[in-house]
Amino acid sequence: MTTEVLPPLPLPNELTAAFWDGANQGKLVIQRCNACGHFQHAPEPICANCLSFDLGYAAVSGKGSVYTFCIPTQAFHPWFEDKLPFVLAVVELDEQPGLKMITNIVETNPDNVKVGDRVEVTFSPLGEGFTLPVFRPAAQ
Amino acid sequence: MAKKNRVAIVGVGYSDVSRGSGLTLDKLTAQSSVAAMNDAGIKPTDIDGVVVHSFPHQFVSSTHTAAMLGIPDVAFYSGNVDGAAYSVAAMHAIAAIASGSAETVLTLRTVHKAGAAGGAAMLGPQRGIPGNMQFGMPYGSFTGSHWAGMYMQRHMAMYGSTEEDFGAFAIAQRKFAVANPTESFFHEELTMDDYLNSRYIAKPLHLLDCDYPVDSSSALIFTTEERARDMKQKPVFFDSWANGTTAEADFSLVRDMTHSSPWMASKRMWSRTDLKPSDVDTAGLYDGFSFIAMQWLEALGFCGEGESGAFVRSGATSATGSLPTNTDGGACNVGRRHGANFFIEVTRQLRGTAGDRALPNKPEVGVVSNAVGGFAACALLTAE
Repeated sequence: MTTEVLPPLPLPNELTAAFWDGANQGKLVIQRCNACGHFQHAPEPICANCLSFDLGYAAVSGKGSVYTFCIPTQAFHPWFEDKLPFVLAVVELDEQPGLKMITNIVETNPDNVKVGDRVEVTFSPLGEGFTLPVFRPAAQ
Repeated sequence: MAKKNRVAIVGVGYSDVSRGSGLTLDKLTAQSSVAAMNDAGIKPTDIDGVVVHSFPHQFVSSTHTAAMLGIPDVAFYSGNVDGAAYSVAAMHAIAAIASGSAETVLTLRTVHKAGAAGGAAMLGPQRGIPGNMQFGMPYGSFTGSHWAGMYMQRHMAMYGSTEEDFGAFAIAQRKFAVANPTESFFHEELTMDDYLNSRYIAKPLHLLDCDYPVDSSSALIFTTEERARDMKQKPVFFDSWANGTTAEADFSLVRDMTHSSPWMASKRMWSRTDLKPSDVDTAGLYDGFSFIAMQWLEALGFCGEGESGAFVRSGATSATGSLPTNTDGGACNVGRRHGANFFIEVTRQLRGTAGDRALPNKPEVGVVSNAVGGFAACALLTAE
């Protein structure tokens, strides 16, 4: 008997569902305050900049740079057993200084990734109806 | 700076410490509590406060701990699962004593080996990742080793530091561990080849950058200066202490990984004392990963920004250096006590009970620290 290995799936809630819905439509969307325009990730029920509760989601350009990364070589979840090594990264998005997200850098040799590399979003199916926004080296 | 309501450490103790003892969290907690009471020469009825820090998935209750130890009534208690590990218990106890809420407080950090799995261990059997962990785990961000590798990479990119710099810290710290055979799990000195050949967990993070998961409980007893003067041990005093946090809660998303919460805590701590970095004779700097202790060296001002590797390579953190650091061998060697071992070891050095490991410089001022990233704390301890 083989056991199907499920990916680590998000459990969308009222704050996070728009992010995953956007990804399924091939868009990177980030929580944005309707009052002051401040982006924040991960999403929260209140804007940390102006304390407004009027928050929505807005599409971003999907362009950014690699703030940092590491190359996991041990799987801490069975889903990753056959995916090692890969690039786990933090990407800083162009829209706002310090606006960062955890992601993967794909379509490149892990050993070629450098801090500061320009990257652009792309979308990778995770399974079970979810899509991950990930990043690849930016087109010149 | 005049100090009022000084708080002293008067007792320290450990439980049995091992890999998979089979002992429950409560039994470990009881063992370390008794050890600390014996060290202080006091009874449960002398204690009127209990503060515990534990993982949410390994919760240890402060009120249950008090009842288990036969403490008839506590004036102050707090059971925490948030923040900078053992130092949270220490900070609560200091605040309780300095404010008069309690006089003699037992502080505890108890952890089972499996706590090492961090966020992954908090995942229940449910399908789907709740809360903001859903923005990390699907990408493979599961444990501290993942953000740790990313903090190291950022330091390397900003300052040109190398894996050998982190290795130098692991090697220097292991020398102390070899001199502490009863507490250390490791008894052979390390070479740079040993370090570089240890497997990557999350490149550039090596296995030998990681603290050693164990089942342990650590206990310290704090009290007022007045009471401390009448107790068995020479008291060690808190001169200054501080928490610090970043504006971002997620360790992977802090604004500046090379200037995370240790910088906030350090700045605040130094603002509350007349002492300076040059007055410090020994340090106990949290080493959940080796880079953390190195960020503390920079944050506390013992070396320049980005220069912790060169500082360690110079021998400054060795027994005969200007700042002997992690003289028990650190958590990479004595096992994960989640910060408490640094408070215990610096106390032993300052009060003169470190035995064979007593530092030749007869330290009078020590600094201790805990955590990194989103939250951290540090304190200055003095022998008088």
